[in-house]
Amino acid sequence: MVTKTHFALNESAIAADSSTVLVREAGVPYRPQRANEDPIAEWISLMEVVQILCPVWPVRDKPMLGNQWKL
Amino acid sequence: MPNLVEQIREALSMFALANTQPALIGGLAVAAHSVVRATKDIDFLLEAEAADRVHDALLRLGYQCIHRSEDAANYVRGTEGLDLLYAHRPLARHLLAQASQRDTPMGRLRVISVEGLIGFKLQGYVNDPTRTRDLEDIRALVKIHRASLDMTQLHEYFALFDQHKLLMELVAENGH
Repeated sequence: MVTKTHFALNESAIAADSSTVLVREAGVPYRPQRANEDPIAEWISLMEVVQILCPVWPVRDKPMLGNQWKL
Repeated sequence: MPNLVEQIREALSMFALANTQPALIGGLAVAAHSVVRATKDIDFLLEAEAADRVHDALLRLGYQCIHRSEDAANYVRGTEGLDLLYAHRPLARHLLAQASQRDTPMGRLRVISVEGLIGFKLQGYVNDPTRTRDLEDIRALVKIHRASLDMTQLHEYFALFDQHKLLMELVAENGH
């Protein structure tokens, strides 16, 4: 699970601690975009791997919650 | 990953046929703003006037509407989901109008600004505090874009949801 603590750590610490995000984010922690790479293309590449590892993701089974729609 | 890419391509074609140009928000917009993480969330900010046209078009594409209000709608089709937020208040309308265009492998996409995305993530988090991923996204976006964020906009959004203290925490974490 990615926690607030992760963002106080440096990149190497995140990589070293990446086992803690295996379930929550299919093994891939947040990371900044690599230089000169299109982030959408990076996401597509990432999701190709994720969908191989986890072909079926749960779909929404309840509507968006809340009553504070102010934007 | 043909299904997800094709689903987005199909949605973009549908929006074009419905004569509307929504903007990407949600998890994929987070990726577009350089915080690349695994997500299958397909969320768009749509002009409210197009809600009925897009609703009918999505039903024709085989989606089932599981929720629809004046603010948002949720659609599912098998294992695919698509969520819409409707822009009918001035802030959302402004953010939709200001969305930037990106050429992507799925086609030309409009993407909401990083400040607007943080605002919508905050709205999602306030509406459902169990969605801690929204807060994690906000934290990552602030961290990566801290040097260029329009803090006046962020103060406005956080004040709107009475979350000024949270913004101060984020600012302190990132040395603003």
